[in-house]
Amino acid sequence: MTRRTVITIVVAVLGTALGWIFLGIIPAASLSVLVLALYYAVGGTSFNFLYGSLGVFSLAQVVFLAAGGYTDVYLYDRFGVSPWLSLLIAPVVAALLALPIALASSRAGSGPIITALITLIVAEAIPPVLIAIGPLGGAIGLYVTAPAHVTFWSMQFSSQAAFARLLFVYCVVAMLVLTVWKRSRAGYYVTAVRDSPEASAAVGIPNTRMRILTFMVSAAIAAPAGVIYAQYSLEVNSDLFLSSTALFEIIVVALVGGAARVWGGFVGAIVIVLLSNEITSLANGAPGVGPLTFAGVFLLIALLMPRGLSGTWAQLVEGLERRREATRGKSVLIGAPAIQDSGGDALVPGAPGAAAVPQRGGDDGEPRPG
Amino acid sequence: MYFAQLFISGLLSGAVLGLIGVGFSLVLGVGKIANFAHGAFVAVGLYAGYWIGHDLGVNPYLLVVPVALAFGVAGWGVAEVYERRGRKVGPIGELLVGLALLLVLNGGLAEIFGENPVNLTNYQLGSVTVFREAISGSELVAAIFTVTVAVGIYLFLRMSRWGRALRAVAENASAAGLYGVRVPVARRAAVVGSIVLAGVSGLLISPFTVMTPEAGSTYLIAAFAVVILGGVGNAVGAVVAGLVVGVIDSLAVGYASTAWTTLVPLLIILGYLLIRPVSVEV
Repeated sequence: MTRRTVITIVVAVLGTALGWIFLGIIPAASLSVLVLALYYAVGGTSFNFLYGSLGVFSLAQVVFLAAGGYTDVYLYDRFGVSPWLSLLIAPVVAALLALPIALASSRAGSGPIITALITLIVAEAIPPVLIAIGPLGGAIGLYVTAPAHVTFWSMQFSSQAAFARLLFVYCVVAMLVLTVWKRSRAGYYVTAVRDSPEASAAVGIPNTRMRILTFMVSAAIAAPAGVIYAQYSLEVNSDLFLSSTALFEIIVVALVGGAARVWGGFVGAIVIVLLSNEITSLANGAPGVGPLTFAGVFLLIALLMPRGLSGTWAQLVEGLERRREATRGKSVLIGAPAIQDSGGDALVPGAPGAAAVPQRGGDDGEPRPG
Repeated sequence: MYFAQLFISGLLSGAVLGLIGVGFSLVLGVGKIANFAHGAFVAVGLYAGYWIGHDLGVNPYLLVVPVALAFGVAGWGVAEVYERRGRKVGPIGELLVGLALLLVLNGGLAEIFGENPVNLTNYQLGSVTVFREAISGSELVAAIFTVTVAVGIYLFLRMSRWGRALRAVAENASAAGLYGVRVPVARRAAVVGSIVLAGVSGLLISPFTVMTPEAGSTYLIAAFAVVILGGVGNAVGAVVAGLVVGVIDSLAVGYASTAWTTLVPLLIILGYLLIRPVSVEV
């Protein structure tokens, strides 16, 4: 076991324990906000996984969260399948759903913009399709019939804290999956595919298969959060899971957090959900003020910290390391590549958030005279 | 003649989709920017028409030029934001700025005009009768404007020096720069032009459209459909694609159910993408 692995395990265990205790002592009123924040944290993490790995901007992550919710309530309501089993089934369903989307956006000639468009279209197309499917409850959706008494097997708890803890543990699991992935062979393959498709194909990496696999894994990461959230809200419908608010919330969470570190989505969700909650209560019910301030904050972050909180953090760390190297008197020329390579905790080495992205073309200057 | 009625109403609504798509297509082609806020600017145009007609009591059609100028100024600001901040972090930065603008505009409209749907009632132009079908004058004006603009943009891109410069930037920005085209200026011009088009099309359809602050997302999707079908940067293709989407949509709604309105453009896009992937690398 390398030192890195030990550190990862220790941090994960300590973090889980601290979070577990923290969620037990905070007042019940803030728990519902935290449950929402943790739910979006998983959505943001799965978004950042895809974005960090492939540089792909997917607006369809809500669909995979919803797939989890629908799988759970449908199986539980119709067949009495335990939600705990659904935690395992839902990722498979979501991954299968991701397959056609991945196929459409992995075809030759589909760059990041076309992929963003396709996923937006999918996200917008799913609600009307869902309404047309009878067994999934149409526009009303499905409800979890509350059992006569609270049982563990039916994933119903008497306190909200249990749901918050469950979601929190799943967040940690998702972050661990990302950590393992980025250190695995698949993670390195995908980085190669993203950075230079031609070179990776030349050394025998199956480009299209890796792209599709990444898409499916990111869908699978999102789905279990949908299961837990559906059990928490006791219902599943397109308004709750697939509204455009939910869609944008996930993207905002992911981008504010940034994809440069695995904790980006988590921190982004906590910051954004608490912030918008605070703003809404400060606005004191004045209509529109909450969303508008929220949008303003997002615009500011987009302009000032385009790589998100974790990207800014990564830049700071890199800057400090470079300065330390410089004071040690090492040659900057020899030192520089080593620092870039050390990428630290970056989701994937050289993720778009971690290192400066070269500017497109040679045309970024101001209008030249004459 | 139920079919003719549906067909004509499809052509009219499709023309508007085409007009909205033209600007989006231009920015995607020249600037390689997917302006997520494009639909939101259409919504702002709609509400500008509502404000002019409802609060000022002036016919919106009379103020097309000042509104276009106002959108030009706003568009220049947006173009500056895209050039100065968005471009620093590559295509994702631009998507981010666009999303943020979309949220700000939606929030702003909801804040000023409220969430409830509104519409203008008393500024419809009269109607004309073609093939024994009554056609609303306002919709006809919008359709004629669309065709004029599309032909105008086509001629501009083909014939003028400026148009050639824009096409050169769309083709290969660095090479165009080496030949003395001022690339950042060209990209700004594309953004400004598209936002003016979005605002004016919103204004022109405001007398006969029910508007909500979120209307922008619907127009954004329509614009995507039009661009993918019509080809990136192709003004005439965008209008033809708009007409196709409009007619299919209208027929589907007429013969099947209203649930198809949102679905049709989406199905067209997905079907088209699965048959023939987009050839331009964007």
